[in-house]
Amino acid sequence: MSLREHDLTLPIGQDAIKELRAGDLVYLSGEIFATAGLPTHDRLLRCIDGQEELPFDMRNGALFHLGSLNEEAEDGSLRIVYMNPTTSTRFNGHMPRLIPGLGLRMTGGKGGLSAESARAMAEAGCVYLGFLGGGAEIITAAIRKVTGIGWPEMISHYRIARIEVERLGPLTVGIDAHGNSIYDTTLEAAAGRREEILARMRTQREGT
Amino acid sequence: MPITDEMIQTATRELYSRSLRKVPEDAKEGLRAAMRTESNELARRTLDLQLKSAELAERKDRFVCSDSGVPTYFVKIGSKVELGCDLKASIRRGYEELVDTIEPPLLKHVTNPLTQERGYHGKDMPIVSYDFESGADYIEMVCSPKALGSGRWAALELFTFPSLEQIETYVLDVAIKAGAQHCPPVVMGVGIGGSFDHCASLAKKQTLRPIGQVNPEPILAQMEERLKSAVNALGFGPMGTGGDTTVLGVHIDYSSGHGFTPVAVCFNCWINRRTSVKIWNDGRMEWGE
Ligand code: SF4
Repeated sequence: MSLREHDLTLPIGQDAIKELRAGDLVYLSGEIFATAGLPTHDRLLRCIDGQEELPFDMRNGALFHLGSLNEEAEDGSLRIVYMNPTTSTRFNGHMPRLIPGLGLRMTGGKGGLSAESARAMAEAGCVYLGFLGGGAEIITAAIRKVTGIGWPEMISHYRIARIEVERLGPLTVGIDAHGNSIYDTTLEAAAGRREEILARMRTQREGT
Repeated sequence: MPITDEMIQTATRELYSRSLRKVPEDAKEGLRAAMRTESNELARRTLDLQLKSAELAERKDRFVCSDSGVPTYFVKIGSKVELGCDLKASIRRGYEELVDTIEPPLLKHVTNPLTQERGYHGKDMPIVSYDFESGADYIEMVCSPKALGSGRWAALELFTFPSLEQIETYVLDVAIKAGAQHCPPVVMGVGIGGSFDHCASLAKKQTLRPIGQVNPEPILAQMEERLKSAVNALGFGPMGTGGDTTVLGVHIDYSSGHGFTPVAVCFNCWINRRTSVKIWNDGRMEWGE
């Protein structure tokens, strides 16, 4: 089996998203949104509920769970010093509403999201892209420029950064828009193998 | 010449800084070896990307991961050491100097668990444990910064007179629960016996043991092999997208204790942050991994 690779540009339509299958690799260009903050996700939910203004329109866009050191230089220009994914499962409670609420076509980070999020993705036409944890230099190298910082009063990795990237990747399609989640399949497979593995260990112990 | 405040401060700063920038050689070798045996193509791509990331960070002198974790140090004081400073205060000052001067700056990850406030400082920071080494004329310091990604999957349970089977089943179940949330391939540290706190510390210290070093205790050497192939058979793979490489090593230590037997399990993610230094009475400093 050889891996399927895609070069994609944001913003992106539903049809292109539906082409992607769990296990494919993606290189991404265009503008992405990045934040690693739990309080930020709470605030985004409040925006959807109409209690606060969204800093950016993210429809047909990508919101990733990426923590970054972002700085405003003295001349007012913005800069990202480094960026890397954070654990997405921390946002399991937020994503099922944020995906349709923000109109996202892509989300991602590391570790995947729950089955409930995967269902929301299938309904809305959205995919989850897995980043390499500990891939800061590879990810940072794809940054072209920072085009906006939302909620600058928060600490660096909680802000929402809007970033122009060029061929950001390779990212792995962990959950596709058809309800397939690599994270769920591997977890189920592991649980399914447990008895067999324990039996093998028993035989090995007896043999020693 | 006694070991000075200056030397301890330098060691504290440098250890943390180095551990963020360099993946230890044995961990890189482990990834290379896994590339040769891994049967899943996507998994091989991920292993290759991990090696590239490590190499790039090292070459550019930048952080491998943006999450610099919380600072954790292990200090061993030789009985023949001449100490010319207040060790605890020097380590604290070294850490404070580091967060003010490190390039690039760290993200604010030190969290007050009661208020969720985040910054560089906080109660008990940096976390340091002290031990002694009979006959040695040096201080050994190890730094292994820990972040949520791999830190939060550690577990401990108390058993009464458990069989090896019960112990191994528990370790496997902790691995199943962690899944691939800890950025595999990981090193698993396991402690068996002693007391609640001692057992946890044994497990943690085993994550610092170099990969590939054979356990001198035959029962544990066999258990390590069994558990390594068992956890890899679960199939999570590098970064959890499937494959045969979820752990690079399972490292186990034990302590005698009473009939209640704690079993502790913890993880170090693929970047395997750990750096060590030995500081001699004569001022020599020898850096290691
Ligand atoms: S588990 Fe390790 S590699 Fe993964 S994000 Fe955390 S510190 Fe980085």
